[in-house]
Amino acid sequence: MKILLVEDDRRASDYLTKGLRELGHAVEQAFDGETGRMTALAGGFDVLILDRMLPKLDGLEIVKALRNAGSTVPILILSALDEVDERVQGLRAGGDDYLAKPYHLEELAARIDALARRQGDAARSGRLKVADLELDTRARKVTRAGRKIELTAREFQLLEFLMRHTGQVVTRTMILEGVWDYHFDPKTNVIDVHISRLRQAIDKGHDVQLLHTIRGAGYTLTDDP
Amino acid sequence: MRLRPFARSSIARVAVLHALLLAASMMAVLGVVYLWTARIIASEGDELVSVEAQSISADFREKDLDAFVTEVVDRAEDPWIRGGIYEMRGPRGDFLAGNVVVLPELHADRDGWVEFDVDVVHGEASAPRRIRGRVLNLDGGFHVLVGHDVEDRLAFRAVMLRSLAWALLMVILFGALGGWWLGRRISQAAQAITESAGRIARGDLGERLPVSGSGDEIDALVSRFNDLLGRVDTLTGTMRAVLDSTAHDLRGHLNRIRAAAQDAHHTAQDPAQVESTGIVLAEIDRLSETLQGLLRIAVAESGTAPLDRVDLSQLARDLVEFYEPVVCADQLTATLEPDLYVRGHRQLLTQAISNLLDNAIKYGGTAPIRVVLTRDGTTAVLAVEDGGIGIPEDERELAVQRFRRLRGSSGLPGTGLGLSLVSAVARLHQATLKLEDANPGLRAALRIPLEP
Repeated sequence: MKILLVEDDRRASDYLTKGLRELGHAVEQAFDGETGRMTALAGGFDVLILDRMLPKLDGLEIVKALRNAGSTVPILILSALDEVDERVQGLRAGGDDYLAKPYHLEELAARIDALARRQGDAARSGRLKVADLELDTRARKVTRAGRKIELTAREFQLLEFLMRHTGQVVTRTMILEGVWDYHFDPKTNVIDVHISRLRQAIDKGHDVQLLHTIRGAGYTLTDDP
Repeated sequence: MRLRPFARSSIARVAVLHALLLAASMMAVLGVVYLWTARIIASEGDELVSVEAQSISADFREKDLDAFVTEVVDRAEDPWIRGGIYEMRGPRGDFLAGNVVVLPELHADRDGWVEFDVDVVHGEASAPRRIRGRVLNLDGGFHVLVGHDVEDRLAFRAVMLRSLAWALLMVILFGALGGWWLGRRISQAAQAITESAGRIARGDLGERLPVSGSGDEIDALVSRFNDLLGRVDTLTGTMRAVLDSTAHDLRGHLNRIRAAAQDAHHTAQDPAQVESTGIVLAEIDRLSETLQGLLRIAVAESGTAPLDRVDLSQLARDLVEFYEPVVCADQLTATLEPDLYVRGHRQLLTQAISNLLDNAIKYGGTAPIRVVLTRDGTTAVLAVEDGGIGIPEDERELAVQRFRRLRGSSGLPGTGLGLSLVSAVARLHQATLKLEDANPGLRAALRIPLEP
């Protein structure tokens, strides 16, 4: 996919660009806010990665300018500021996701992947389907091969989150933020335990395993690993 | 008991005090005026009588009896001697002259003064009038009463007393009104200051106390206080800016280092190189984690984190549910009172309680963990109890210090910042963190003020 990276830290920008290109993305770099804004407004990108503090123009100002111009391009805000409150500001300004420095390339890659393949509002409600696993958000009902599966409210949310990112890698942090709205590292393997519980519920007794662990990255829910 | 709030309010106290003080000072002034006036009038009347008595005594000595009686009769009937009262009796008590008949019933006091009421005829009207006079015991057993009508004096005294009473009443009334006004002004100023101070304490450092503009002492106090707030605001702002730029700088550096290390790790061919770059990456991540912890503590301690209404019960319930799968079967029990709201920072509170749960899981062994949330008056008490090794009493204070790790915990993962963060978050919420003995194990209790 085509990515615009607006980052004034040249070295960091170069490393990130190299990493993203190796993952098969086309990356265009901008090193200050003004250039970033002009390039972004010209359009043609699948995802924008914006640093928060930029010379000439703050990253949030670029977000606002884009949103005011009617652009719906997914934006990931990168920041070296503590994300406790900055995250809220970034998302409020119109950003779609927020990642604090220093980040893992895998984490960033997974997040932009999720952003770019974000489903439209139409798909947000209603029924989700992966192979023979079906989830009805309105009836709060899950079936696998027609058989009803009993889940707790949180397990349901977790499955819904995974199904909305079908075929994509979701990291532990993404799950933590997306399902629990927790923004800290719980330091235990608690996410893995929740996942394995869910796996028990949806995959046990079925030939095709849907919930897969991606070593060193996270999880993915797919019938085509 | 219902009157208590009124009596306790400063308005009522000031009003009553003001009225009482004013009344007391007024009473003192008017009392002195009254006593003086009364004494002057009284002594004037008495002097008149004394002079008259001396003149009569002299007449008695100089004149023969008949002339003296005629003299007394003259004086008694002389219309020019206004209010003059005379009566003369012989040695056997027989009436000889005078304009009243009272002498036999009179008992003079030690100085020879008498006071009595008598009907005095003035024209056609007759009214009882108060008379004050002297009884002269003359040679030969003659008695002469020389008196003076003091009814006017009494009337004057009554009028004066009435006026004084009215004046006093007015003073009390105006005193109370003035006091009430004064008290209300002070109490309104105090209330405005209290409300503003409350908002400031909750973290709104941009708030300033209201200045009435009258330029009085309260205004002076308030503006001095506002100056102080301005300084605190500036200092906190500077501190936060320093914190942000430090965070930005350090994270920027770490980010570059990590990107370079990751690149090196990625492109390394030699297994030894792969391993060493892997170690570097892991160390950078540990360093980031520590920096992150320190920065969060700093954010919490700077007091600049915005606070909102947080459902503590829900937050605790979610966290218990979150950690429940990593604890051995049914070893995590929670008793949570619902609908306890606090004013807080959701993310920081979540992380603080998560740290307590994480500690209980890490150090609690396989013993049960209990999470209890209760209300204690206007405070929410959230306690996490484990059945582990606990912390010896003399080490509990050290345990909340930064980078302080418990004995025997070196094999366990952690940065040594967990409890420091809890303690910093507690301070941000005007809460307290208490570490106690759970017999066995540790009981970590957060006491957070409830939001109504």
